[in-house]
Amino acid sequence: MKATAVLGVGLFFIGVALAQQPVLKIGVNGVMSGPAASWGLVNKYSAETTAAMINAEGGWKIGDKKYKVEIVALDDKNDPKISAANAEKLVSMGVKYIIGPNVDTTAGAVMPVMEKAKAINFPYAFSKELYTPPHGNSILGMIASYQAGPVIYKYLKEKKGVKNIAFLARNEADPLNQMKEGEDAAKMLGLNIVTSGATYEPGTTDFAPVLQGILAKNPDLLVLSGVAPGDAPLLIKSAREMGYKGLLSTETAQDAKILQQVAGSLADGFISVGGASTPSIQTPYMLDFVKAYTKRVGEWNDEAGTKVYALEMILRTLQLAGPAAINDVELFKKTLTKFNIPNPFVKGNPPLKFVGSAYFSQPRQLGVPMVVNEFKDGKFQTLFVGSVE
Amino acid sequence: MGLAPTYLGSVMSQIIVNGLMLSATYALIALGITLIFAIMNVMNFAHGQMYVLGGFMVYYTYGVWHWPFALSLLVAALVVAAVGLILERFFFRSVLRRSRREESTMLLAVGTALLLDSLALALFGEKQRGVPDVVSGVYHLAGAYIPARRLLIFAIAAVLTTAFIVFINYTRPGRALRAIAQDRETAALQGVDVTRYSALGFGLGAALSGLAGGLLISTDAINSGAGNLISIKAFIMIMIGGAGVVSGAIAGALVLAFSEAIGYYFIPGSLPYLLILTGLIVFLLFRPQGIMGRRWG
Amino acid sequence: MNRLLGPLIGLALYLGIVPLLIHGSSYWLTVFINISLLAFTSLGVWLTFYIGRINIAQGAFALIGGYAVAVLTTLHGWPFWLALPMAGLVAGLVGGVVGSTILRLRGVYFAMLTLCLTEATRLLALNWTGVTQGASGIIGIPTPFGGDSSYLQAYFFSALLLLAGLLAIWRITQCRMGRVFRALQAHEDLAASIGINVAQYRVLAFSIACAFGGLGGAVLTVFLQSIYPTSFNVTNSTDFMLYCFLGGLQFVLGPAVGALVLFLGFQLLSALGSYQALVYAILMVLAMLLLPNGLLSLRFSVRQKSMREGQV
Repeated sequence: MKATAVLGVGLFFIGVALAQQPVLKIGVNGVMSGPAASWGLVNKYSAETTAAMINAEGGWKIGDKKYKVEIVALDDKNDPKISAANAEKLVSMGVKYIIGPNVDTTAGAVMPVMEKAKAINFPYAFSKELYTPPHGNSILGMIASYQAGPVIYKYLKEKKGVKNIAFLARNEADPLNQMKEGEDAAKMLGLNIVTSGATYEPGTTDFAPVLQGILAKNPDLLVLSGVAPGDAPLLIKSAREMGYKGLLSTETAQDAKILQQVAGSLADGFISVGGASTPSIQTPYMLDFVKAYTKRVGEWNDEAGTKVYALEMILRTLQLAGPAAINDVELFKKTLTKFNIPNPFVKGNPPLKFVGSAYFSQPRQLGVPMVVNEFKDGKFQTLFVGSVE
Repeated sequence: MGLAPTYLGSVMSQIIVNGLMLSATYALIALGITLIFAIMNVMNFAHGQMYVLGGFMVYYTYGVWHWPFALSLLVAALVVAAVGLILERFFFRSVLRRSRREESTMLLAVGTALLLDSLALALFGEKQRGVPDVVSGVYHLAGAYIPARRLLIFAIAAVLTTAFIVFINYTRPGRALRAIAQDRETAALQGVDVTRYSALGFGLGAALSGLAGGLLISTDAINSGAGNLISIKAFIMIMIGGAGVVSGAIAGALVLAFSEAIGYYFIPGSLPYLLILTGLIVFLLFRPQGIMGRRWG
Repeated sequence: MNRLLGPLIGLALYLGIVPLLIHGSSYWLTVFINISLLAFTSLGVWLTFYIGRINIAQGAFALIGGYAVAVLTTLHGWPFWLALPMAGLVAGLVGGVVGSTILRLRGVYFAMLTLCLTEATRLLALNWTGVTQGASGIIGIPTPFGGDSSYLQAYFFSALLLLAGLLAIWRITQCRMGRVFRALQAHEDLAASIGINVAQYRVLAFSIACAFGGLGGAVLTVFLQSIYPTSFNVTNSTDFMLYCFLGGLQFVLGPAVGALVLFLGFQLLSALGSYQALVYAILMVLAMLLLPNGLLSLRFSVRQKSMREGQV
C-alpha cells in the first residue's frame, strides 16, 4: 500500500518534471528531396541524432534548467522561395537558430528573413557576402573550400613538389565559386594553372571527354572543385584509366563507400577534406555519435563528420551565453569571440572556436577542423589536421 | 609526374571513341522514349526515373547480392517493364480516355515523375550508389584509351539496339507497333489490338530505359534524384533526331554524344551545353521534324 | 449578376478576410505573397495554352525579369517602380523575338523546346558574367516594402497584381483578340485561311505571356532580395505548367487555384516530415487521375448539372 503510494507520488513528480521541462527548438532548413537531397538530409539526420543523444541524458543544461532539444526540419527543395517561407515558418514558431540552407541560391534568399526576424542561421553556402558586414546573422557551417584550398596546395607544393595545377568543376554556382577561389589561391602560392574554367554538366555520365582536354596539359595536381560524392569516383577512375599519373584532390567531404565501390584501388591517394571521419582521430563521443547515427539512418555517411558540429556549437554557445540568449541572438553574437573549448569530436587538436575574421572581418564561421584525408584501401587516412583563423 | 606523351598523339581518335561510347547508351534511352511517344503520344517525363529504377535494380542484385551481371540486367529490364505496364494500365490509359485535352497526359507524366522521384528517395535513400567493375582493364587503340567496362557496355547496348530494330521491323508485334505509331485508327480498323499493343509498347520503352540505367550504373554512379537530368537529355535527343522515329532516336543519340565529346574537348566550360541548346533551337527552326522525323502538324 | 457573385466573394476574401486573419504572421503572409506571384506568373503559361501551346519556358522569363530588376535597381540605381515595368517589357520583348521563331512548332515539340529554353537561359545567366555576375548572383536587392508593415504591403501589392492580371487575361478572352486566340487553339490553319494573321497573333499572345513571367519573376526576386542563375529553373517552369493544368485549362482562375492548392499543400504537408514529398506527389497524381480536366472542372460539372436540372 505504502509502496504504491510512494510509487504514485514518484511517478507524479516525474510527470511534473517531464511536463515542466522547457523545450529548446532548433530548426533545420535545407534540401531534402531531389538530386541534392543528401545535403539537407545529412544536416537533419546529424541534428536529430545529437538531439536524441542529449535528450536521452535528460536534456541540455543552459543556466539552471535542462532543456529538451527539439529539431524542426523543413525541406526547401533547393528553391529560394520555399527556403525563405520555411525560414519564416521556423521563426514564427519561435525558433531563433536554424541549421542550413545548403546552397548560395537558398542562403541568399533566407538571409533577409534572418535579419528581419533577428534570428541566426548556419548555411552551408560559400558566398562571402553572406557572412561579411553589414550582414551578420549567418554563420558558415563548415570550412569553405577557398580556405581549405591554399592549405592543401601548400602542403602538396612543399611535400610532393607540385608545380602545375588544373581545376575542374561541376557547372553549378557553388562548385564554380570554389574553382574561382581555388585558382586565386593557387596563383598566390605561385603555382602554374594549366587550364582555367573547365567544367562539366550536372548529369554527365562519361567524363572522358571533359578530362581529355585537361589531362593533355600535363598537370601535376588535378583539383576537383566542389565535386559531388557521386562524381568523384568516376572522375578519378576515368582520369587514371586515361593514363593520368599525377595527384587528385578536392576540398569537399567525400564518401568512402562509393569511392571504394566505384573506383576501388584507382582512388588510392585521392585527397579530400573530412570532418572527423577517420578512427585514428575520433574521440569516444564521436564514436558514440557514429553509432547512434548509423542506428538511426541505417548507414553512416562521412558527410555527417562535418555536419555534426553545427548543433553542438549552437548548444554549447547558448550554454556559455546563458538562457537569455535563447531568444536574443545579440547575446549569442557577443559570446562568439569568447567561445573556446576542446574539440569534442577530434582528439588532441586545435580548440574549437568561431573563426572567419580573416575572410569575413568578423567571426562568422564554425571552426570545424580541416581534417585532410587520403583515401587508401577503402578507407580514409588522415594526412594532417589544419585549422582556419 | 606528368603524363605519357603518347596521350597527346591522338586527340581525334579519343574524341571518336568517347562519342561512340556515349552514343550507344544514349541510343537506348532515346529509343525507349521515342517508342512510348510514337505509340501513346505521351511525352514521358518519367523516363529518367525509370532509368534510375533500373540502375538501382542492378545495384541491389549485382552490387549487393552479387548475382551474375546478365541476370541482374534481366531483372532490371523486367521490373522496370512491369512498372511501365502498371503506369500505362492505371494511369495513362484512363486519363487518355477521359481527358478533354490531350496535354493532360503530359501533366500526368510530370506527376508520375515526381511520384517516382519521391518513391525512389524513400526506398533507396539519398546516397550515391555504384557497383564494382564487371570487367577490368584498359585497351589502347590508335592512341585512344578505352576502358574494358565501357567497351562491354558499348557492345551490350549495340546488341540491344540491333535486336530492337530487328524486332520492330521484322516481327509481327513489331509491325503492329509501327502500324499504331503511323495511324492509330487505321491500325485498329485493320484488326490490330491497339490496347494490348499500346501496353506492350509502353512496357518495352520502359524496359529499354531500365536497361540503360542498369548498364550505366556499372560504369557510373547513380542517385535517387538523377532522373530529371536524364529525361532532359532524352528530350534533346528525340528533338534532334525526330520524335517517334527509330532511326531518329539513334541519330539524336549520335549527334548529342559527339557534340558533348567535341564540345567538352575544345571548350572546357559551361558553354558547350549552351551552344548545344542554342544550336538545337536554331536547327529546329529550319527542320522542326528533326533529322529523320516526319513533318508534324 | 449571379455570374459575378463568385468572383466578388473570392475578391473580398482575398483582399479583406485573408489579410485580416493572417496580418500578424509574416510566415502566412509570405506563403500568400508567393501564391499570388506564382499564380500571376502562371497566368502567362495559361495564355499560351489558350493559343494551343504547352509552355515550359516561364521559368526562363521569370529569370529574365528577375535579373532585369536586380541589375537595374542594384547595379544601376533605378527606383523599383521604374525597373518593374522595364522587367516586364524586357521579358515581353525577348519573348516576342524568341516567339516569332519558335512558335512555328506545335504540340510536344514546342513543349520540349521551351523546356530547353529554360535550361539555356540558366546557362546564359551563368556565362554572361558581365551583366549577371555569373555564379555569384546578385544579393542585397533593395525592396520597396519597408517598415513594420512591409509584409502586409507586399501582400497587398502581390494580391492586387494578381487581380490586375486576372482581369487583364479575362478581358483578353472576352474581346476579339480572345476569339482569335481560341481559333488558333482549335484550328490554326483554318484561322489562317479566313485571313487572320496567325503568326502575328501568336507572337502577340506569347509576348504578353512572357511579360507576365517577367513581372512575376521581378517581384519575386525583389521579395527575396537575391537572384542566382538557378533561382528559376526547369522545376519552376514545370510547376507553372502544373498550376494551370491542376486548376483547369478551361478557366481563367485555373492557374490561381492550382498555385494556391499546390503551394499551400506542400506547406501544410510539412508536418509529415520525411513523407512530405511522397504524400504531396501521391495527392497530385490522384488529383490528375480523378480530375483530369482540373480542380475547377469539379465546380463546373456540378454547376452544369444543376443548371440542366433547373432548366429542364
